[in-house]
Amino acid sequence: ERRGTIYTYSIVHSGTEAFQDKTPYVLAVVEVNRQKRMARVEGYTESTDIEIGMEVVFLAEDQMGNPIYVFA
Amino acid sequence: MRSVSVIGIGETKIGRFPDKSLRELIQEAGTKAIDDAGIGREEVEALFMSNFNAQAFSGQGHLGPLAAEALGLGNIPTLRIEGACASGSLAFRQALHAVATGLYDVVLVGGVEKMTHQSTGPVTAGLAGAADIDLEAGVGATFPSIFAMIANRYFHEFGNVRHEMALCAVQNHENALLNPHAQLQKRITVEQVKNGVPIASPFTIFDCSLVSDGSAFVVLAATDLAKAVSRKRLVEVVGCGQAGDTLTLASKKSMTTFDATVLAARNAYAQAGLRPSQIDLAEVHDCFTITQIINSEDLGFFAKGAGAYALAEGKTALHGQIPINVSGGLKAKGHPIGATGLCQIYEIVTQLRGDGGARQLKKADIGMTHNIGGTAATCVVSIFRGR
Repeated sequence: ERRGTIYTYSIVHSGTEAFQDKTPYVLAVVEVNRQKRMARVEGYTESTDIEIGMEVVFLAEDQMGNPIYVFA
Repeated sequence: MRSVSVIGIGETKIGRFPDKSLRELIQEAGTKAIDDAGIGREEVEALFMSNFNAQAFSGQGHLGPLAAEALGLGNIPTLRIEGACASGSLAFRQALHAVATGLYDVVLVGGVEKMTHQSTGPVTAGLAGAADIDLEAGVGATFPSIFAMIANRYFHEFGNVRHEMALCAVQNHENALLNPHAQLQKRITVEQVKNGVPIASPFTIFDCSLVSDGSAFVVLAATDLAKAVSRKRLVEVVGCGQAGDTLTLASKKSMTTFDATVLAARNAYAQAGLRPSQIDLAEVHDCFTITQIINSEDLGFFAKGAGAYALAEGKTALHGQIPINVSGGLKAKGHPIGATGLCQIYEIVTQLRGDGGARQLKKADIGMTHNIGGTAATCVVSIFRGR
């Protein structure tokens, strides 16, 4: 299943060293088929109006096999 | 199980002490606690030592023998206990059971953390180990961002309480002004909180607890023995519950109710034979402003969704219906992780003895500490009664 919805989220301005160069980035708990998983959502800009329930689409897996999503 | 009481407490000032070693922090707080108990060091039968991550922050492990040596406790059994931010309360609970079951008559519980000599990177990385390193830290999560997601979900379910979260920070800073041990004795305003440096939406830096150094110790004794040796008001441990939950946020049944808090509190209330309305004051884990609000509901003080508004109405203020974090909390007194649970106990015992100085409550007979580790994956709730 490639589509999911945002169950909750935060725009991260201060991340760990490994992710600091990506700030600000969106971290979300994404719900897919009633299963929840934490993931980054790419494509955020200051004009992005994020809401809980918003649809996201699977983009790729990172090096650790964790899913990365993008706003639909 | 026999009754157990607190007969001694000791604490360093909480703050930034880059020049003080772990050993020096332990010596200061431990010596104060033993002196406060009015016992000789040879009477301490075991040491339960709490610490989160001295290996990462200072390169030091094996803290049990280090502390016993620093305090001149000889060849007694020691152990070090870790449960993230709940480490101190976990050590306390193990020590409590060791005395309650008759294994020992008098034991010492200590906690210490030293972080401020490190730069933000190693501290953030060290703290991330209290979350899931693959499924959470591995995708860019930090503790502020995890609790920020909890806050945003809370807004979705119960309404936007951003203003009340700011009031929570302001209130805890006000209380800390009266606590000589507090790290941040600085008044702040709602506007400062809302307009602070953004960390993870909706949090600014003023929604977050502090990076701290510090140590706290507690002496526990069988109550029958305590009556004979203690010169101060006896503080009996009448309830101590512990519960757990999933490590990862995404796996929790709810993100706006901390099940571990609900269950640990239920257990502690049952042991004590008390209801939430009978608690005179509580030190409630406030790693972030939303955390205090949610926990104030889960401890039974307020209905679900009502915690923020109760705070705004002054019900948790210094002389409110149920004063919360009169010490200043993790937010302003400080958060020396391995010592935090014991710092909470230090405050409750101080209040129950009537030694709170400018922040002393008029009625302080029954107090509670609430301490969580990780994303409320570990929780200990303890209830104390002055006799």
